[in-house]
Amino acid sequence: MKSFSFLRLSVWFYLAIFFAYLLGPLVIMSVTAFNSPEFPRASPWECLTFEWFSALFQDERILNGIWNSILVGAGTVVLSVAMGLAGALMLTQIWPKLRATYYTIIIAPILIPGVVLGISTLVFWDRINRMLGLGADSFLSNGLFLTIIGQSTFIASYCMLVLVARLQRYDIALTEAALDLGATHAQAFRKVLLPFMKPAIASAAVLAFLASFENYNTTTFTFGEYPTLTIELAQKVRYGITPAISALAFIIVVLTVFAALANEANIRRKELVAAARKDATVEELESGRLRLPNFFSSNWAAVALVVVACLTIATVGTATVYSPQQCIADIREQKRLETEARIQELRQRRAEEAARRAAEEAEKGDAATGGTSTAPATGGNNSGFGNVFDPNALGGGSSDAEETDDQSSAPSSGGGSSAFGGAFDPNALSGGGSDGN
Amino acid sequence: MPSFLKEFFKRNGVGMGSVMLGLVLFWTIGLIILPQLSMLDFSFRPNLPPPEIGGPKDVYTLENYKYLINGPEGGSQDYNAVDLRVFFRTLVAAVCVTVFNLILCYPIAYYLAQTKGNHIRIFALMLIIPYWINEILRAFALRIIFGETGVLNNLLVGMGLFDTPFDFIRNDIALYAGLGYAYILLMIFPIYNVIESLDRNQIEAARDMGASWPMIHRRVVIPYAKPGISSGCTMVFMLSAGALAAPQILGGPSSLWFTQLIYQQFNDNSDWPQGAAYAVVLLVTCILLVLAIMRLFKVNMGDIGK
Repeated sequence: MKSFSFLRLSVWFYLAIFFAYLLGPLVIMSVTAFNSPEFPRASPWECLTFEWFSALFQDERILNGIWNSILVGAGTVVLSVAMGLAGALMLTQIWPKLRATYYTIIIAPILIPGVVLGISTLVFWDRINRMLGLGADSFLSNGLFLTIIGQSTFIASYCMLVLVARLQRYDIALTEAALDLGATHAQAFRKVLLPFMKPAIASAAVLAFLASFENYNTTTFTFGEYPTLTIELAQKVRYGITPAISALAFIIVVLTVFAALANEANIRRKELVAAARKDATVEELESGRLRLPNFFSSNWAAVALVVVACLTIATVGTATVYSPQQCIADIREQKRLETEARIQELRQRRAEEAARRAAEEAEKGDAATGGTSTAPATGGNNSGFGNVFDPNALGGGSSDAEETDDQSSAPSSGGGSSAFGGAFDPNALSGGGSDGN
Repeated sequence: MPSFLKEFFKRNGVGMGSVMLGLVLFWTIGLIILPQLSMLDFSFRPNLPPPEIGGPKDVYTLENYKYLINGPEGGSQDYNAVDLRVFFRTLVAAVCVTVFNLILCYPIAYYLAQTKGNHIRIFALMLIIPYWINEILRAFALRIIFGETGVLNNLLVGMGLFDTPFDFIRNDIALYAGLGYAYILLMIFPIYNVIESLDRNQIEAARDMGASWPMIHRRVVIPYAKPGISSGCTMVFMLSAGALAAPQILGGPSSLWFTQLIYQQFNDNSDWPQGAAYAVVLLVTCILLVLAIMRLFKVNMGDIGK
């Protein structure tokens, strides 16, 4: 069983790495939204701040982008759900020989690169526009129209896939029964088929809106005068990033987590209710005294949902009363001190250097004057200078060597070689060796 | 009126039938087929100012395709080395991203599909949540991590693995990580769907017969999951070859993605026919490559998208 537990351990290790890759970036991005530096970074941590959120809400372009995205999303949802439903219904009825071709055509937009879809939409409607003799500001070259059309081309395929899955479980006899009972085709559609398809239509609509909201590749060619949120974000990210974008991302992450948990809690709740009903006796059901399970009992998603909601409220509450000014001032002060210390250090180093250079200069002057007058004086000066560098012998050695080159005075050179050369003298070692022998 | 149309209207009613037919025709012909043909047609035309379109100069030409291969007229080189290199690099990189994703996702998909329990639903939720976040924001998150003063560099330098920050962006590591990151879900779900329907008894039987784990996967699970694997790979390959956001945000300054060339032709050079020609080349090459690989692994087109 040892190998089994090893396998288990490695599975968990793999899962941990995988989810770290998947969720880590989002967590780090969220953290940067609360850190005060101008450039989004998680470390080093400076100050907890909420100013990036207010910067975000004051950004006209972002707000305008959100509005445009909602407009485009609404149009895309309507158009692509309608086309997806029609396409799915057609798939169930189409002549069998045409079926494979038809399926390939309506599934193709998923595989066509978004860039190609955007270009083809732009080129095609531009041509239609010219054929009809309309100007450059006509409805057909409107960015909103083109974006909706371009996005719907492939989003309708997603919707079609979702709807077909549900439509396969539909009993066509239901529609026939309605028609036999005297309903018109429109009535049969509205009162029988549509209610049956409702859950699938809802999920197709959500999917379509999300796909439209985050689309970039197609929209970037068609948006015209109506930049969506994604386009604005891309432009911001490409030309300099700020933590305000992290703040937006954090909001989207929280909304997403919230929606996902709400959905999960709802599903779980339904399952629990169904299980309770199944276990209940007939009397309990008839008397209506069936005790349905509590909303929170064995429903981790509901608990998590409430926790997330509380955390959000707490965060917003903190944000309204919290002021990071003190901390930012502290950090600024600290940075100023650091910079000052660094400047001080630099200044000191410079001063030292200047002093040394001055000493050298002075020495040179000395050497120039002293060289002619008395040789022993130079040697004494040299040894005195060398003492300063005594701890780091090598530096002293090199400066000594330079010095000797400059001065080319025989006594000091001889002194240098005696001071250092002693250790490196090959004779010393061999002599010692021979001594030993 | 042909008999099948008559049949169709009898089944759906005239009103409902024509709405349905109208929507389907608008979608398939007006949105899918005609725009593609129009782009193809456009790619064979010279780049003319609007008043001259339809005039005597508006004739079919191979100029735009020649440009991709031979470069500008009278250029110093025989081949358009820059654009061709970008093109092949994009294809190779997209294949690498696909293989990386397959290796990364297959174990996860297998695990999720073959394990029962409550935690699987938590995992599924954790898988889906990143895909509700904007594509741009996902790329942005990776840029924060891989930047020169990013978290990863701080960590690596802090641990003493590197002396100086490593430039992940210039070395394209950020780009590959971002592309792989963007399409994980599209690889996992098709494989997961197929493996979920695999009868666990088959695996048990193979194990009883003495097959080792690699053997079981090679002989039982992978052949069964082939449709899922191929449809996942097709989607990841097509989408990463056609990606624009991740290369724009995460790509190094010296390395371009082929879609970025198309984008430049459209937006910076205003040479639409040239851009359309590049787009056609990208589309056709990708489709041919996918078909060739599908034939190599003996997978049918009908299995895709299931």
